[in-house]
Amino acid sequence: MAASNAPRQRGAAPVSSGPTLTSQHAIDPPLAERRLCFVLGKGGVGKSTVSAALGIAYARQGHRTLLLEVAGRDRLSRLLDRADASTEPTVVGEGLYAATIDPEEATEEYLRGQLPVRAIADVLAGSKTFRTFTQAAPGLKEMVTLGKIWSYAVELRPDQEAPEWDRLVVDAPATGHAVALLETAANVREIAQGGPIHEQAERIREVISHPAATGIAVVARPDELPVSEALDAIDRLRAAELPVAAAILNCITPRRFSDEDVAALESARALVNGSERGAIDAALAESRRAAREARHARDLEGGGVPVIRLPLLARGAGRLAGLEELASAVTDGLSQRAGVA
Amino acid sequence: MIEAALERRVVVCCGAGGVGKTTVSAAVALELARRGRRAAVVTIDPARRLADALGMAGLGDEPTEADGAALRAAGAPASGQLWALQLDAKATFDRLVARYAPDEEVRERILANRIYQHLSGAVAGSQEYMAVERLHELLEDGRFDHIVLDTPPAENALDFLDAPERMTRFVGGKALRVLTAPAEDSAWLGRRALAAGTSAVMAVLRRVTGAELLDDIAEFLSSFEGMYAGFAERAGEVRSLLTSDEAAFLVVAAPEEEPAAAAVELVRRLEEDGFPFAGIVLNRVHRLPPGAPRDVDDLARRLDALGAPRAPALAAAVLEALEDARAVAIRDLDLREGLAAAAGGPAAAVIPALEREPVDVAGLAEVAGALVSPSVSAKRGPIASLG
Repeated sequence: MAASNAPRQRGAAPVSSGPTLTSQHAIDPPLAERRLCFVLGKGGVGKSTVSAALGIAYARQGHRTLLLEVAGRDRLSRLLDRADASTEPTVVGEGLYAATIDPEEATEEYLRGQLPVRAIADVLAGSKTFRTFTQAAPGLKEMVTLGKIWSYAVELRPDQEAPEWDRLVVDAPATGHAVALLETAANVREIAQGGPIHEQAERIREVISHPAATGIAVVARPDELPVSEALDAIDRLRAAELPVAAAILNCITPRRFSDEDVAALESARALVNGSERGAIDAALAESRRAAREARHARDLEGGGVPVIRLPLLARGAGRLAGLEELASAVTDGLSQRAGVA
Repeated sequence: MIEAALERRVVVCCGAGGVGKTTVSAAVALELARRGRRAAVVTIDPARRLADALGMAGLGDEPTEADGAALRAAGAPASGQLWALQLDAKATFDRLVARYAPDEEVRERILANRIYQHLSGAVAGSQEYMAVERLHELLEDGRFDHIVLDTPPAENALDFLDAPERMTRFVGGKALRVLTAPAEDSAWLGRRALAAGTSAVMAVLRRVTGAELLDDIAEFLSSFEGMYAGFAERAGEVRSLLTSDEAAFLVVAAPEEEPAAAAVELVRRLEEDGFPFAGIVLNRVHRLPPGAPRDVDDLARRLDALGAPRAPALAAAVLEALEDARAVAIRDLDLREGLAAAAGGPAAAVIPALEREPVDVAGLAEVAGALVSPSVSAKRGPIASLG
């Protein structure tokens, strides 16, 4: 990558040693050590791509990994060439599996699990009343979706000795919806006072709010609005006592030019014209962009969670080669943070 | 150019998440205010800095007027008025209950219901539905010539169009009757066998969920009984306005595969359902830089003469940066052409990727300028010929 010196580390020290952290955060394990990861972010920040890259990174480390997405978007399935977006976990790579969660199917499955008599479950599943109820009941869709994620997370291997999945990565819906989804367990626990639903909600809430088990990663792009929105999301998650483990800054422009390089290019610009000037302009624009992004990255670090940085892939990350490259960047990001913590 | 849309009473900006709907909505309202109109932009999730820039720091559920002096100072003087408000689904829901509940007792019962308290903001589609209710309120308000609606960030951009129907089904639909009707009074099902099945189903549900929860849900739904007709009526009114020539739908897209595909689907749906589609706004399109210089060594020598350290490597890095910028712009151009082919015509407006995000009035004014710029097709020529 040529002429650049390694970009100087300016501004804040790594945030995990910063004074803003409570002792609670200091003892929480880093994202890489938490089994269940929810990947959140506003539309367009690359949640699905980052989820897939995170899954690939975990699988490479030898973790048996399950990628999960909620039916309807199927973006993850498209990225991974899972044409059928099956609700059963299917292999998508070495040690890497993916499954789509269909809330309707999950509701039926949940009820079957609850009901000892199969005939009753059959009546229920075939009933129009039941379908009407499930479509209208507030929060039910969110609750069964969360319940399905939870059941994958607590599933054991046939020998009952170890969990079926070493890592689970959930490509969550867009931020607002995702926070509502995660808050559902606590809400339902409050609403259903006593009774089986209350207990179920409490079991789910325990897992998804436990910082040793679950980590939420908030994805942002290095621009002003996405970063301020990510910071808002982090605040909201914390207020709901949901365990934010990392922020992931995606699509970072490469820092190719040092300040010295920029000064030289600025002087040279006045002396050239035509295509040479065009080339220098492109280089200067890129370096201005990189400098702005560095400021936004520092803002994001102000959120008090480790920031994992992923590069912009000029030719797109939506291809398998791009995903592999991004997964390597994720691995670097995860291990750096593990070292700091 | 989106000139036709600017004549309509309601302008709806829709599109996939992250394409810049809020920015485009605010820019449309700013342009209307510049032309002397009274415009209100309804946003879902305004950037704090945008609200600050417009002098609306405390942007809330009530319309706030932008400070004319602030607009002038930022180089965007408005002879009309620019208002903005942030949609608050819960506040709108509360207000609806207060306004349309048949009596004090029902009102209190709904507001005190645990399900309502926890989930009125989170019920599937409630935010989308409340956008429609809020639109109805604003149309009746009388203070605004135009309302620009930034649609909620739905997973599926089309959800917004179906929200009224889903919501009225929710509060007035069969679920209510199933839960509230005593088993022997299930004649609405029409058939006796089904009626028996229903009570069995309810018995099972009761067992699975716990009786109390089911009763709470039933109570929640039944409290809306008297209000259902009003919900349906207002949703119907808004829908007929949105399908009339008083409305215009702008589809906002970004030159990326997924948002572009979402835009094509959205255009198809709008046309199919009779909503007045007024054009695609393609946001954040990168300009194509000129081609690479013929002689890199020449550039390296110049840099060297200027005392740049490692001049040959620096010259090579400059070329890499140029190639990356060109790759991005060429990808944008391909997607733009693909979008035009799939959507049956070129975008009505193309907004260039600005070096700085349009988070202030000056940035918005720049976006507004691109929205009404007539030179869309003129720009295509040179860009294409350079590629």
